[in-house]
Amino acid sequence: MTAIFAAIRMFWPVLAAGTVGALVPRRHSRSERFWIALAAAACALFVVMMWPADATVVPATPAEPATTYPHLLSWLIAIPVLGAIAIIFTPRQAHKSLQYVSMAFMAVELVGCLLLLKLTPQESGMWLEETSSWIAPFGIRYHVGVDGISLWLIILTGVLTPIALFVSYGSITNRLKDFCFAFLMLQAAMVGSLVALDLFLFYVMWELMLVPMYVMIGVFGGADRIRAAVKFFLYTMAGSMLMLVAILYIVFKYRALSGEMSWDVNDLSRLHIPYGAEKWLFLAFALAFLIKVPMFPVHTWLPDAHTQAPTGASMILAAVMLKLGCYGYIRFAMGLFPRAAHEYGATFAGVAVVGGIMYGALCALKQTDAKRLIAYSSVSHLGYVMLGIFARNSASMEGAILQMVNHGISTGALFLLIGVIYDRRHTRDLAEFGGLAKQMPMYAAAFVIITFSSIGLPGTNGFVGEWLVISGTFLSQQTLGLWGRSQAIGAAIGVILGAAYMLTVTQKMFFGPLDNPKNKRLPDLTRREVVALAPLIILVFVIGLFPRIFTEPMHPSVSAFVKSFNERKKFEEEKVKDEAVLDPKPEPKVAAVAAPAPAPGANAAPEGAK
Amino acid sequence: MDLLKLFKPDDFTLLAIILGAPLAGAFFNGVFGKRVGKNGVRLISMAAMLVSFFAAVLTFFALSQHRHNVHEEFEKTGVKGGAEPVSKLAWLAWQWMSMATGQSDGRLSIDVKFSVDELSAVMMLVITGIGTLIHLYSTSYMAKDRSYHRFFAYLNLFVFSMLVLVLADNMPLLFVGWEGVGACSYLLIGFWFDKEANASAGRKAFIANRVGDVGMIGGMLVIAHYCGALDWSGIAQNVEKLVLHGGQPERIILWQREAGPFSLSPATIAALALFLGCTGKSAQIPLYVWLPDAMAGPTPVSALIHAATMVTSGLYLICRLNFLFVYSPFTMAIIACVGAATALFAATIALVQNDIKKVLAYSTVSQLGFMFLGVGVGAFNLGFFHVVTHAFFKACLFLGAGCVIHAMHARIHDDDKSQDMRFMGGLRKYMPWTFYSMGAATLAIAGMPFTSGFFSKDGILYHVFVNRVVNPVVIEPMAMMRKMEEQRQVFTGPEHDMLARRIAQYWQAPNWLGPVLFCVGILAATMTAFYMFRLLFRTFWGEFKGWKVAPEAALRANPMENLEPLVDEPEAHLDAHGAHGDDHDDHSHDDHGHDDSPGEAPAEAPWPMAIPVAILGLLALFGGFLLAEPLHIEPLGKWLEPIFGDVMQHKDVAGLLSGFVHMRAGAAALEWPLMVPGVLAFAVGSGAAYYLYVHERGIHLPGTLMDAYPGLHKAALNKWYVDEAYEATIIGGTDALADGAALMDVWVVDGIIAKLTSAVVTGIGAILRTFQTGVVHVYGAFIAVGLLGIFFFFGQPHPNVATHKEGDTFTLEAAPGLGYEYRWTIDEGAPEPAFTTGEKATTRTIQLKKGEEKYVTLEVKNAFGRTAQKIVHIANPAPPPPPSSSMKPVGVPPFKPRPKGAQ
Repeated sequence: MTAIFAAIRMFWPVLAAGTVGALVPRRHSRSERFWIALAAAACALFVVMMWPADATVVPATPAEPATTYPHLLSWLIAIPVLGAIAIIFTPRQAHKSLQYVSMAFMAVELVGCLLLLKLTPQESGMWLEETSSWIAPFGIRYHVGVDGISLWLIILTGVLTPIALFVSYGSITNRLKDFCFAFLMLQAAMVGSLVALDLFLFYVMWELMLVPMYVMIGVFGGADRIRAAVKFFLYTMAGSMLMLVAILYIVFKYRALSGEMSWDVNDLSRLHIPYGAEKWLFLAFALAFLIKVPMFPVHTWLPDAHTQAPTGASMILAAVMLKLGCYGYIRFAMGLFPRAAHEYGATFAGVAVVGGIMYGALCALKQTDAKRLIAYSSVSHLGYVMLGIFARNSASMEGAILQMVNHGISTGALFLLIGVIYDRRHTRDLAEFGGLAKQMPMYAAAFVIITFSSIGLPGTNGFVGEWLVISGTFLSQQTLGLWGRSQAIGAAIGVILGAAYMLTVTQKMFFGPLDNPKNKRLPDLTRREVVALAPLIILVFVIGLFPRIFTEPMHPSVSAFVKSFNERKKFEEEKVKDEAVLDPKPEPKVAAVAAPAPAPGANAAPEGAK
Repeated sequence: MDLLKLFKPDDFTLLAIILGAPLAGAFFNGVFGKRVGKNGVRLISMAAMLVSFFAAVLTFFALSQHRHNVHEEFEKTGVKGGAEPVSKLAWLAWQWMSMATGQSDGRLSIDVKFSVDELSAVMMLVITGIGTLIHLYSTSYMAKDRSYHRFFAYLNLFVFSMLVLVLADNMPLLFVGWEGVGACSYLLIGFWFDKEANASAGRKAFIANRVGDVGMIGGMLVIAHYCGALDWSGIAQNVEKLVLHGGQPERIILWQREAGPFSLSPATIAALALFLGCTGKSAQIPLYVWLPDAMAGPTPVSALIHAATMVTSGLYLICRLNFLFVYSPFTMAIIACVGAATALFAATIALVQNDIKKVLAYSTVSQLGFMFLGVGVGAFNLGFFHVVTHAFFKACLFLGAGCVIHAMHARIHDDDKSQDMRFMGGLRKYMPWTFYSMGAATLAIAGMPFTSGFFSKDGILYHVFVNRVVNPVVIEPMAMMRKMEEQRQVFTGPEHDMLARRIAQYWQAPNWLGPVLFCVGILAATMTAFYMFRLLFRTFWGEFKGWKVAPEAALRANPMENLEPLVDEPEAHLDAHGAHGDDHDDHSHDDHGHDDSPGEAPAEAPWPMAIPVAILGLLALFGGFLLAEPLHIEPLGKWLEPIFGDVMQHKDVAGLLSGFVHMRAGAAALEWPLMVPGVLAFAVGSGAAYYLYVHERGIHLPGTLMDAYPGLHKAALNKWYVDEAYEATIIGGTDALADGAALMDVWVVDGIIAKLTSAVVTGIGAILRTFQTGVVHVYGAFIAVGLLGIFFFFGQPHPNVATHKEGDTFTLEAAPGLGYEYRWTIDEGAPEPAFTTGEKATTRTIQLKKGEEKYVTLEVKNAFGRTAQKIVHIANPAPPPPPSSSMKPVGVPPFKPRPKGAQ
């Protein structure tokens, strides 16, 4: 009996959320309500499970949960690939089957992603590492792992991809098979890039992402889709090529010093290259990632790609793919070249504030195409993310990672919402709308909530990220110097512009008289759209009110990263002059192949260096 | 009391009920409101408010009890003369986030924690109390609105946010409430969103507040940096670090000048930044422009949000952080000056407005200016008291105006005209309750002796005259100097001079500032009395002019009939309603232009509307006795003493004069005499209004004045063109910048990186493509031309020499070629006898002394017998001359690099 009471005490928010979810929607049938209730209950369950325990009671059995599912990460890459293979054998005309098959695989994938939360130990270093030889003559290995930096991005991928695909079912009627195939492959590639710890593997996954996205824009896009797809492809390729050259340089440098080939990040991060060469290597890596972010002045592919891409592709592009640029910058550009990253950090931060936050917002202010506007707002928002990364203290980096997730949710939702009206009116020109709140109240309410999230209203997710980034930047003395203060103030001023453009969109679309006759008979949100939006809106508040759920798991990894970054930067500044230096191998390092369970501290930190 | 046993002071979960009830109300109304119908909505929202109010009252008593307990405990066990512990009731909901502190990766935990102390208790009662009254009022006022549930959802949400604001225990959480009320204000101003102007007004309010938010964020960051804390007690404990660092004054250097760096103390920067936030939320110069436009919202909203509660949150923040603000006398002086300027400026605009809500809006701005004037001179309790009294009388006035508009609307059916005072008059007969209540509130705001406004406003003015905020850095030397003067009768001497010099180093407000601000305040008070009675007389006295709403043209032709003409552009004076108002006017002409019948008379509002107005009217009349300083009846002052006592002038343990707010010598004697100008201001202002608007002979004076100074009148009517100026400068500037950015993005950034690159690639491709004709003859011709080129190249000998230097030995090596023969000539010497070939022929080794140079000629003959030659210059640079030698050796080669450091 007491067990029941304890369970009720623990899980009452789940019940409450489920009840509310079942009762709230008015015009929907029982099955629809069931799904909404399930979504609400799942979110509540997530909060309950992740709730930080008051007392720091160490569980009696500190069993290594990391070894419980040793191949989880490989499965996370494999499941979408298997899904894609299953799609190949599903008949082209059987739309329902295609939908169910792809959604089933994505659901499994989502469960797998959420398992990560259950399994990740609260310590620094890589979790769930997995290593095996792949192309032995060249020292190429299959090496995957996850830590607090990539954790939430993987989960974001797992959550948003099914939503994006689900929404697309409403609008994609032609070539659905190709679309589902591309989506599943894209998901596999994104997860793969996020977990890869071998540069070769990473590069393969990174390039693999381009192809499905190219197909989605080029085949399912708008009128000018080919040009946009090519532009997207060429921009990203240009950066990747430079990165490839840089990768080869460090791999061969490593071979020259150690006598063996390795593409492993852990190995390569033991390499300290003199600043003259490191500078160029860093710039090559940084360019590849900053194009993807995208940062001024290499951002112009984004508005074109977004305007032409179909809704689902836009969502994925904005919500996940751009984050891979930020993630890559942290993991590889900063992880491999700390000194150069430090030297350029202050300059880049200036670009992020002026070119990203402010310039992006100013451009957004003048757009008339809703999607283009949101694309520019992405440029502005990612300026915050990058600023937090450049400021490089643990709070600002946590803020930046959280802001990546936030941007994924709010911008993903915004593209979804724009897609809703585009499906109905086949235009995104803001001048065509006005007064929609009267005709589509639910749609308007959802849009206003997401707007508030996007402009960082306290209580929503946007504020927490922005606040952590701005305060972290302001209070970072050793990284950005005195400029940090002005950059923080610049970022804070960007908050005004953010409000200006988002509220302008809201006003143009929803308020004012409903005088365009074409808008007078528009239906409100359909059940599919409600179900897709519900988790995003719930997450807006969950992150806004309980951000610790999200920052706690990433904290050890981020702190360790910042610490090792600073140590290695100092080492390079003091010791590395003309010749490249290779740190000795840290003792508990796993020998090349086999040995599944890695010891803690096996991440980028060369503890043995000092 | 049992209450404190039930809820522990450090885990006072009753706060959850105060906060939770309105939130739950908002949620249920927003989500289920449409299903439960209007009665259900009314029930939910009123229940939520009453529960919240009841819990707030209980909390108030619990706090009183707790304070008593703490005091007794302290009397028993505490150190005599030591600091008494603060008494507050706190509730930690959950840990929110952890942010950086700047102390080498240190972390600062920000919690969702609420607490209630004396200051927030009063605010809490005002919010829930007046909030309940206004909810009651709204149930009737909004009865015919289709979006009834949406309105109450927003209103409940507003109350919740406002409570978060005042109950928050740290600054980021206060900021949640701060932005939350802003968002609710945005939603409620644009409540009738189908009018473009309303939506624009909401957006304007939000963005103006956002400008202030930048200040809030900046201020919080500075505080977090120096104090390492953001919760109230943490800031209070570490506030000294904002001015002192290890005993030395802490300065932030903003920029370097020739006369030394321009620097401010962190306290000044933090306080100025926070004050920027306050000017946004509390509608002061320069960010006040949104408040008059915000009157586009429903009238109860204007009463609750834009008069009684939200706009006073800036004041609340300053009172809450009074211990921080007094650390910066400069900021205090700025606050006082901005307050006085706003009070006067807004009053001049209110003098000529015709829209009843616009008059009240500008009056609110002006009264907020008075409050800032009060806190700016360090009279925190009076500034805060004015918040409370203003909440009473301004809420009453707005609600009364709402009753009037309600009645007028029932007759005129036009949103704009039913607010226009030119169509009112004589309503005293029809709406006696409203009249009496509004009359009471008008007396209070105009400052009739012994009403609430009198005690708060005249108290503020008195303190403006006598108060002086002392720089914290000089308090100690000043106290020493005073002691010296009073006890030892020393007025000169080196010691005294040194102290005087130390004091003179730091900025102090000049002595004339107080009296000047006092005069400005009196002037503004006079205007207040005038425009408020003008409003009262034009609404309730004379004949009712709404029987027949004349067309615009007639009004313009005969301005005297309605006392004041419309300005040329109808948008200009009804600007919140904008151009859109025009078509409404046209409609109403069609509908009502020919309707000459008297029709239904304006009627008294129904009881849910009349009762709140009456209660607030009573409070406006008698609320002043909460803090009647001259009469020494001051329960509120005593209640707030733990909050403001420390900064006020007092004797500390050692008997030295302590505190930051000092009073002029002989201030006590001035208390009654300084009241005279205040009473005169009331008398003159109200008398002038009576003479002009009620008395027969004065009735033509406004028209005459208007004709005499048409420009002045028009400028005041158009609010001194401040909106237009902002439009032209800041908004226009941003707009131009955005235009520039958007164009630059397409043509410069994209132009160079994408378009230019692609053009170059395309161009090269186009050129190369021309060679791919597919015609064999052309290819053959290309082959022939190419072969010819190759033959031509190889037909010529190419003498190329590579020089290697090793010490003083130079090795010259000639490039090989097809059948080449070589002949060398070294430095004008005899040429070698013949061309040779083979390994020996290609290299020559030459020894050069230091400073020597030579010319070597190489001749090459190829297989076709053609020759070509090349002259190579080799030189061995001389060692750098010793630094002492001023003369340079003659034979130094001219190209020799200049030795470093030779000068």
